[in-house]
Amino acid sequence: MTVKTTRLAALVLPIAALAGLSGAAQAEEWTPTRNIEFIAPANPGGGWDTLVRTTSRVIQEEGLAERSFAAINVPGGGGAVAWAQIARDSGNPHKLFATSPPIILVPLAGTSRYDHTDFTPIARLITDYSIVLVPADSEYQDLNDLFAALEADPGLSVGGGSAPGSMDHISIAGLASAAGLNAAEVNYIPFSGGGEAMTSLMGGHVEAVITGAGEAAGQLGEGSQLRALGVSAPERMGGPLAEVPTYQEQGIDYTFDIWRGVMGTPDMPAEAVAYYEDLFARMLETDGWQQARDQLGWLDAYQDSEAFGDFLDAQQAQFSGVLGDLGLLGD
Amino acid sequence: MEALNNLMYGFGIALEPMNIAYVFFGVFAGTIIGMLPGLGPISALALMIPITFAMEPSSGLILMAGVYYGAIFGGSTSSILLNAPGVAGTVATSFDGYPMAKQGMAGKALAIAAYASFIGGTISIVFLMLVAPLLSKVAVSFGPAEYFALMVLGLTAVVSLSDKSLVKGLIAAVVGVMISIMGIDLQTGTERFTFGSAHLLDGIDFLVVALGIFALAEVFVMLLRGGGGKEQPRNAIGSLRLTRGEVKEIAGPIGRSSVLGFFTGVLPGAGATIGSFLGYSMEKRLAKDGDTFGKGNIKGVAAPESANNAACTGSFVPLLTLGVPGSGTTAVLLGALLVMGVTPGPMMLEQRPDVFWGVIASMYIGNIFLLVLNLPLIPLIARILDLPRPLLLSLILIFCMIGVYGMSFSVFDLLLLLGFGLLGLGMRLFGFPAAPLILALILGNIMEESMRRALQISGGDWMIFVEKPISLVLLVIALLSLALPLARKALQRALA
Repeated sequence: MTVKTTRLAALVLPIAALAGLSGAAQAEEWTPTRNIEFIAPANPGGGWDTLVRTTSRVIQEEGLAERSFAAINVPGGGGAVAWAQIARDSGNPHKLFATSPPIILVPLAGTSRYDHTDFTPIARLITDYSIVLVPADSEYQDLNDLFAALEADPGLSVGGGSAPGSMDHISIAGLASAAGLNAAEVNYIPFSGGGEAMTSLMGGHVEAVITGAGEAAGQLGEGSQLRALGVSAPERMGGPLAEVPTYQEQGIDYTFDIWRGVMGTPDMPAEAVAYYEDLFARMLETDGWQQARDQLGWLDAYQDSEAFGDFLDAQQAQFSGVLGDLGLLGD
Repeated sequence: MEALNNLMYGFGIALEPMNIAYVFFGVFAGTIIGMLPGLGPISALALMIPITFAMEPSSGLILMAGVYYGAIFGGSTSSILLNAPGVAGTVATSFDGYPMAKQGMAGKALAIAAYASFIGGTISIVFLMLVAPLLSKVAVSFGPAEYFALMVLGLTAVVSLSDKSLVKGLIAAVVGVMISIMGIDLQTGTERFTFGSAHLLDGIDFLVVALGIFALAEVFVMLLRGGGGKEQPRNAIGSLRLTRGEVKEIAGPIGRSSVLGFFTGVLPGAGATIGSFLGYSMEKRLAKDGDTFGKGNIKGVAAPESANNAACTGSFVPLLTLGVPGSGTTAVLLGALLVMGVTPGPMMLEQRPDVFWGVIASMYIGNIFLLVLNLPLIPLIARILDLPRPLLLSLILIFCMIGVYGMSFSVFDLLLLLGFGLLGLGMRLFGFPAAPLILALILGNIMEESMRRALQISGGDWMIFVEKPISLVLLVIALLSLALPLARKALQRALA
């Protein structure tokens, strides 16, 4: 029952958020009355945790909020445990959580009862892209070489840092189908992290690896054992990745975003949403944030609550298509 | 010579007054964190990232590395005194450390643990310094097939860990493997043994099982025996001194386990827990008095303690030379380094020699600090055993619950802890050994994943396990270590 009502509410919410925005500008502005619980639905050390800790620190150091943000880790089920907890806390304006594609992929795989429509989108903050790597001495010079080889021998293995049906797999499957291959035929080997996948590539145990560009950036450049064939960005990335061509440059019309953002409890009041939207927008402008962002290899990709909500719906449609091709849609 | 020059350069950095202070603070905090269950090195390091953000990268890494190896160093205390391992890497230490404490030799067990940790740590730093760049090749040569073979070799230790009945040992090991594969299967995304509960999707944390089966079961056993606090011996700490004979006895195990532990640590994904178990079972098999392992043999404390500290240092090899984290803890360290603007990897030695050599030099200093800090503390900490029994039991109980709850903030995990405590009690009452279950729990999951990954790469061809030389050698050793004792027994029977 509760699920149904919150889904309905989520449809109404973006409109309410808009109304809230204009209202907030005029009169009664909402501010938090106690400390904000900012949840990373995973163990310390991962992407969500880094986002939560970095944003909390910047907000505090730059003095952007009167109340502090307390980073809390709620690991389990690839996020499902935390989502189930947050979903019970409907309307609480003092609880936020970090989010990224798993909020869509995990429910699609059938292992979370709650999906993005159960929560209130606050803002999309940053994005990373996928990168395809091969050993430095590999015979493949570009993506087309690699895909020609994969087409000739579908047994060739492509490693990734996450489980089948999650980010890295979706990313390479979508790329393969854009390149004219059958997505389900990619021999995807899941490792328990991008680091492990890259180590395996250095040892020549797999043919190629797909992982996050930010994670791989440190592995590229002079003296490296690995070489990048392409990134999933719409245009070239900066820093050590400036040399890496995009998929589109190589004639494969496909991009893939590993975005990260912030969501709140179901039915969060519109004034609170407006407050946080504005807070995160201001945070992105600070020097402290820009310094941390560059060091972590992130790119700003701000969207406000409404745009973020639409974006999430579009992502869900796209991902469920790829998962369907792979035969990995849950019930 | 070059290594010596580099080391001198490193000491120049590590001996700066502020850096000495950071090493001291790091290892001190690490020891305390290691003693308390729940706040493991991973969460402790995650908490430190904001502190290190503004520091010089070398100072930041010196501090965080100190916390990491300090936690492994301190983790043995609760294993030995309370049978309640605070860190996964020190579970094997409780096998003989706790029996020693019960026999009134807590002081000696803690002292051996401290010496073994110190020597294991120091030997492995020498290795790290001399051969780290070469070893990065070893680390990458281990693919799925090789990991599978290594895990099979590790699992053969079940035979030596099952003291009375091999069948009961094997049953315990099978249960351990079953617990290890609970949760979402990484290869297919299928849920296994989750009973539809979201709490079980990630499987069961190792510490919940270990604390339940060891510490909580021990509390239940003591409660069943009853008898208040009467037979609790006073002055239960005993002497810290080792006789010359004892020093001789543990020298070999410490040396061997340090080397073994270091190499285990170098392999991404293996780490301190597997290193300590391999060290323990290797020494049990080599020892003439192997049958007294598990009953308070000093070698049974020395081996895992030197191995786990050596493995902890070894895990810096893939981090510093390849830029890939070998464990959850080093993943946090990697993240922290990136934030500080240092990119670990093949180029780090040239680009940031100050960080590389500064950290290595600081590890020598940190290990000395740890020894000097821990030895005088032993008599103080060990007095916990002087508490009247009702108090001691409640203390262990609280200790376990805080440990589990502090890790996940989940009441569900507390219920699991209770369940595993009851399972442990049942196993004790019916003579099932707990060690094989724990070993299988640690190795089972990695073994299965590596096997399936290897087969997926080979297209289902099982020959991949014997075509790869490292894998073949490991499997042959595993086979021999199973066959030889059986052959010896058969021979003895034929002769008798």
